[in-house]
Amino acid sequence: MAAALRAARGLRLAAGPPSLAFTRSAFVAKRRNHDQPNWFGVGLAFSTSAALWALLFKQHNEDVMEYERRKEERQHKCTGCS
Amino acid sequence: MVFLPDESRSLPPPPLVNKGSVWLGLTGWIAALLDNGFNHRPIIRAGVHRQILFTTVGWFVGYYLAKRTEYVHAKVDRELFEYVRQHPEDFKAAEKKRIGELLEDFHPIR
Repeated sequence: MAAALRAARGLRLAAGPPSLAFTRSAFVAKRRNHDQPNWFGVGLAFSTSAALWALLFKQHNEDVMEYERRKEERQHKCTGCS
Repeated sequence: MVFLPDESRSLPPPPLVNKGSVWLGLTGWIAALLDNGFNHRPIIRAGVHRQILFTTVGWFVGYYLAKRTEYVHAKVDRELFEYVRQHPEDFKAAEKKRIGELLEDFHPIR
């Protein structure tokens, strides 16, 4: 019993990459390397921010135009065309 | 329920720098700083693109929330003033009393 355990421990210590005899996992983990910036992520973040700001400015200007337009309309309706 | 009904467009829109935007932009930025902290990165110097993105998202959401807030407040005010207008007998202004009626008679003791 003890000899079999010692043999198994020896085998496990000696094994390098997972072999089919012991594991059949589909997943392999990679050690993340942060030496280089994730340029794709950085570009995506900046372009999304720029798009959101552009959308916000556009929406605000549209809101102001619509408010002014409705104010004029209300003036016309109430005072008649003076 | 519609988030912003059509009649909300008759209200003046909130300025681009408004309370909701500033507050949520700040929370977005703090969230980015916290993310840096939790991942053992330098707190303010790292992930500037992330800080900018989170702040922008907060600012954006804050603008729409401010618009909805203004609409809800305006709606409540409109209903309140309409009720006051339709029930004038309940909202009579208090009559002004003259000072002579308020004070007691003066009986000098000489």
